[in-house]
Amino acid sequence: MARVTTSELPKRFHDAVLKWRETFLPDYDFLLENWERYFPRDPKFRLCAYREGGMPCTIECGDELGRDKYQRACEMRPEAAQHLAGAIRAQASTEFGSIQQHQLTLARAQDEEEQAMVLRMMAEELRHGYQMLSLLEADDWKPITGQSSEQMVEEILSMKTGSHVLGAFNVDFESFVDNIVFCALIDRVGKYQLAMQKVSAYAPMAESMPQMLREEAFHLATGVVPLRRWVVKAAAGSPMITMEVIQKHLNKWVPRALEMFGDERGGGTNVKFGLKPMKNSEAQDQYWREIGKVVRDLNLRYLRARLPQLDAGQAELTLDRLESERGVVEGVDARDLLRLPHRDYFRRRGVPAFRMVGEDGGAWTDVEGYLGHLVKTLPDGYRATRDFQDYVTNLRAVARGEKTPEEAQKFMPQLRRVGGVCPCSRAVRWVADEHVELPDGGAVHGG
Amino acid sequence: MSDPTIQIRSLSELHLDDIVRIVEKTRHSYQPDLWEDRVTYYLRRDPESSVVAEVDGRVVGFMLGDVRAGEFGIEEPSGWIEVIGVDPGFAGRGVGRALADAMLARYRERGVRQVRTMVDAGMPEVERFFKQVGFEPDSLRPFVRRLD
Ligand SMILES: CC(C)(COP(=O)(O)OP(=O)(O)OC[C@H]1O[C@@H](n2cnc3c(N)ncnc32)[C@H](O)[C@@H]1OP(=O)(O)O)[C@@H](O)C(=O)NCCC(=O)NCCS
Ligand SMILES: [Fe+2]
Ligand SMILES: [Fe+2]
Repeated sequence: MARVTTSELPKRFHDAVLKWRETFLPDYDFLLENWERYFPRDPKFRLCAYREGGMPCTIECGDELGRDKYQRACEMRPEAAQHLAGAIRAQASTEFGSIQQHQLTLARAQDEEEQAMVLRMMAEELRHGYQMLSLLEADDWKPITGQSSEQMVEEILSMKTGSHVLGAFNVDFESFVDNIVFCALIDRVGKYQLAMQKVSAYAPMAESMPQMLREEAFHLATGVVPLRRWVVKAAAGSPMITMEVIQKHLNKWVPRALEMFGDERGGGTNVKFGLKPMKNSEAQDQYWREIGKVVRDLNLRYLRARLPQLDAGQAELTLDRLESERGVVEGVDARDLLRLPHRDYFRRRGVPAFRMVGEDGGAWTDVEGYLGHLVKTLPDGYRATRDFQDYVTNLRAVARGEKTPEEAQKFMPQLRRVGGVCPCSRAVRWVADEHVELPDGGAVHGG
Repeated sequence: MSDPTIQIRSLSELHLDDIVRIVEKTRHSYQPDLWEDRVTYYLRRDPESSVVAEVDGRVVGFMLGDVRAGEFGIEEPSGWIEVIGVDPGFAGRGVGRALADAMLARYRERGVRQVRTMVDAGMPEVERFFKQVGFEPDSLRPFVRRLD
């Protein structure tokens, strides 16, 4: 069988993760007790680290192409090792962070099966976090980060929503629609990051990726399959879910997903160091095309539910017409369909940060008008969140000329370690006064 | 030899619509819910075994299966090919063979030593296909008893 080995963290770290799980993933026991019912014949979930054997032993890209991969971070160029440490820390943070977000609204699922899928996905995210901790534990990071493995692990386990490294993981969920759209969009960014890190010049990182990628394939289905069913319900006029609600959630998450690839101008350093094979903008372009297909497929599923008399070919032609003519075809209004928001819409990082671009690509000049547009195009509950507040404050400051967009980016909440010995201490606060430099402007990882 | 224009990829949730479309052509029924369940099943169990074939960027065939042990008294892990479909517009061009080659190679790489499938005797073309790609009849025989 596949050359995969598994291992557990030393007891004190393992126990810290279990303690974290009791606090932030309280339904874990329910999942394991009901495993056979929801996932008959699937091997039972196990909290452990996986390492894939038989992967390439020489560096696959960058200026050290062809030389042996590194087994220890301290053998790498210091700058490369620092990028790597940042990436591991950020990856771990997103894994744990997504569980905290999903937990907020897990109980609001209307369908038991969808809920079970999300719960399993959460357990797998815990394993992904555990996998990253295993990389921190197995090497000596002190010469690189100034922190011992113990300190780094503790820091990660003490982060809460609002203190995670990456924007998307600081955004609270308001309904189960968030859980599902997050899987479909944000875990997809994760898939890209994992696939890129599979070539990592640091062998333990590369060997950690295959199992995570296998699990990620399921996470994407956990998002896309319910969405496909919801558009059918929407087509039938369900009061529970509408195309408008789904659209507003796309608007909420697509900008965050795009920013997770990092600044559009960056990523070259990761390629040079052999840590990733693609620059930020190349990966973001591929992602953009991929979510375009997701949206088109959802529209097709919707259209066939609305117009059951059409066969596959006719439905595709009708969709083509609706997309190009934007009018009403066969009684279906193009405005009922889903679309990707403009790539510059509601951005706060990267090249289009704090440009006032509408969902449809239109340019806005007055701030209050633009904020009104955002409120109209984003989910109702979102406008009351801390995340949106921070954006509004910074956008106004940019408009008044008090900050440049570059400065404003740095004021969006960032990670800061504020102590706390117990892994479950709530000692991490919202921090918007100090900027922590991330590799390539925060090009990191998804669920 | 398989056609160089045929691209093989691992199954993903992005292929749901393509699979539904191909089955609609071969079986004349539109069953998205059924295929959403099936594809999710393979993705969560074994996303690397199942494959799709693309020609010019469009999915024209798929083959689904996974590795299992302990069924029907077969203790050794077996790779199974459970579902196959090729767009009729692309039949006879080596798509099925390319899918089978890829799936067998993936199983082999994982150390699997036997790959199994079952074919309905009412589908002689499928039987012929499996014979052409190297399968032979096995001692395992299907039995059924109807409960009415
Ligand atoms: C059977 C099937 C897989 C063949 O796919 P394909 O892409 O057309 O096959 P290929 O072109 O790769 O052919 C491979 C071999 O199978 C043989 N073959 C394929 N279709 C055949 C047919 N209809 N009759 C006889 N032999 C056939 C070919 O002769 C070829 O052999 P060769 O390479 O030695 O000449 C495809 O037609 C199919 O999916 N049919 C529907 C299957 C179905 O209903 N499945 C449901 C049960 S799982
Ligand atoms: Fe993950
Ligand atoms: Fe994930």
